[in-house]
Amino acid sequence: MTAPPLTEYVTLVSNDAFEFKVLRSAAVLAGTIKKALDPSSNFKEGATNRVTFHNINGVILEKVCEYLYYNQKHEESKDVPDFDLPPELCLELIVAADYLGV
Amino acid sequence: MREFVDPANNISAQEIRDSYRQRLDHAAAQGAAEAVENGEAAAEATQNEDEEGVQAESSAMAAERSRKRKRNTEEAVAKIKKGKEAKKKATKKKKRGSDEEDDSDYEAVMDMYKKAKPLPGQLENCELCSKRFTVTPYSKAGPDGGLLCTPCGKEMAKEAKANEKAAKPAVRRGRRKIESNRLDGLSGRGAKSLVQLCIEKLAKHAEDIDEFGELPESIMNRLSEIFSKKRAMNPTSVKLFLRPEMDTVAVHEAAYLETEDYDQIFAVVPNLQKLVLRNACQFKDVNMDYMIEKAINLQHIQLQGANLVSNDKWIDLFIARGEDLKSLKLEWLDAAFNDQVVEALVEFCPNLERLKLERCRLLGIETIEALTRSKNLQHLTLQLSKDVPMERLVNLIGHIGANLRTLCLQEFLDRENDPTDDILQAIHDTCRHLSKFRFTENNECSDAGYVALFSDWANPPLKHIDLQSNRDVDNANPDGPEDFPIGLASEGFKALMAHSGSKLEYLNIKSCRHISHKTFAEVFDGTKQYPNLQELDMSFCPVVDTQIVAAVFRSCPKIKKVVTFGCFEVADVVVPRGMTLIGAPKAQDAIEQYGEMVMDFQKELMKEMEKAGRVAPVMA
Repeated sequence: MTAPPLTEYVTLVSNDAFEFKVLRSAAVLAGTIKKALDPSSNFKEGATNRVTFHNINGVILEKVCEYLYYNQKHEESKDVPDFDLPPELCLELIVAADYLGV
Repeated sequence: MREFVDPANNISAQEIRDSYRQRLDHAAAQGAAEAVENGEAAAEATQNEDEEGVQAESSAMAAERSRKRKRNTEEAVAKIKKGKEAKKKATKKKKRGSDEEDDSDYEAVMDMYKKAKPLPGQLENCELCSKRFTVTPYSKAGPDGGLLCTPCGKEMAKEAKANEKAAKPAVRRGRRKIESNRLDGLSGRGAKSLVQLCIEKLAKHAEDIDEFGELPESIMNRLSEIFSKKRAMNPTSVKLFLRPEMDTVAVHEAAYLETEDYDQIFAVVPNLQKLVLRNACQFKDVNMDYMIEKAINLQHIQLQGANLVSNDKWIDLFIARGEDLKSLKLEWLDAAFNDQVVEALVEFCPNLERLKLERCRLLGIETIEALTRSKNLQHLTLQLSKDVPMERLVNLIGHIGANLRTLCLQEFLDRENDPTDDILQAIHDTCRHLSKFRFTENNECSDAGYVALFSDWANPPLKHIDLQSNRDVDNANPDGPEDFPIGLASEGFKALMAHSGSKLEYLNIKSCRHISHKTFAEVFDGTKQYPNLQELDMSFCPVVDTQIVAAVFRSCPKIKKVVTFGCFEVADVVVPRGMTLIGAPKAQDAIEQYGEMVMDFQKELMKEMEKAGRVAPVMA
């Protein structure tokens, strides 16, 4: 069985069924997502290009996606402008960030 | 928490000495010149020159000046010329262009022929609004040199202030923050990690947080550190960090905590194994009692500045919990904790593996004696304020040196006896398992001693070496005795790198200023490799120059941080990517330089990394 070609976009799904289609190049900045999508690790996620997070809700996942793009954009630049974080999300976000490895 | 680097120390002793000499010479020259010329004229001239520069001084002064000038203008001109000559002879330092000098002379003369400014009490038309007003000593000078009425004067002052304010912050604020981040070790490239961002945000809103919930331990730790750094650890916020299931409580800045808060720690966290409290000013005997009673699993204690605990209470602690204690780190104790307490410590804590006693003021020789009986110690850090005869220290190493993994002896001097290298010899002869060695601020041991230590040492290569400030201290002879170098000098440094270079990760040779340029060039020749070296501090080694720093980058593939405060020969280094150079004194715009260039020797490494997949920017 040959592996399907890698798609440009992947789908991240939150536990309350919000779906986010993000660039693969941005998504793999998160270690956990990268491992899940890596075809060589033979996960279902790798085949379907779709990762479901049972412990992250839509609001948080949206912020995470936002961050992934922000990170990708500023990858090479110096003195990056600060990422805007609503303080009330911080605690949940920090757990998600730790889990995702970003 | 990072160590602080103080750019204010960015001065080389050499430079200070040079400028001092220069000033001496000047003073001598000046004295001679003044003896020839008329000293009074010179003084008068300086005064006149000063006056010419200050435009906006009070009108009273101006009026007085002009009156004087009317009286004997010509005399003054003659004096100025005379004075100028005298001054020119005396101070060769201020080499201004001759044109400029002539101009200023001319201006000074012209100034005298100007219309006299009105005296206080007279009437004058305002330069801006042309209104008539009475001149007072407080009347301000206008842009063209005339006087202003009070409202216009106020307006002017306001504008000047506003301009001053507007000019400053735009450039500074951003830069300060950036520099501070850099010195904190945050990489300048790419975005910060999301975890890092969240932690910073949380610390900013410390007082609004009700509880942390189920945060992973590592993040809790990091948060606690950041809270401490921001001094946000107070009786309310510390409770956020207390959870019953934890086994470690670390409050790195406990100065705001009150006596009851310490009890709270032991009440909430029954299984406490490791306790870290720094600046624990209000930690008292009663807390100690409560800790002895509640924290029955305690194995690791680190207390800094707990000066309200009495000697007896320390002894109580060791009697009650001594059997279980594995590590004890105490710093900044000066009200209590004396030699007897250390004796009790050695007596009742037979299983102690790690001991750190820094800046405990009451400790002396008897502490060293007592420690000889502490046979299970593996990590020992000592910094005593009292002088200890070297033979006692040698004796201590002889007794417990064989087991030690870490040995840190800071500022041990023996001012009474003749300096010897016995201590280094003892370390050479007994220590077999050291991986971290710190021996600092010593001006007694000789270079030969260090050579002997690192030559044929049965100890495997060390990972962490700190030999800062081992040099001769003699202001009259800054280079030290030539034939018998004192401190870690050329040969010692060579021997060190030959012995430990292969495994060395951290090296501090700050202020070891007798190491020669030739030696540096030999050790870091660009081909010899030090594969594990990550951090190198060569501050205040005056011979270190651009070439050596460049060679360090080539010789140490893993190096992340090179510190060169006070190395005045370092300029315009091209810093390779991923490496950081801190403290290059001639880099006016940045204390720290980040590598942008990808060097040839890095390209292969990059290829490998690319093969492994893109690596997201990692935060320290």
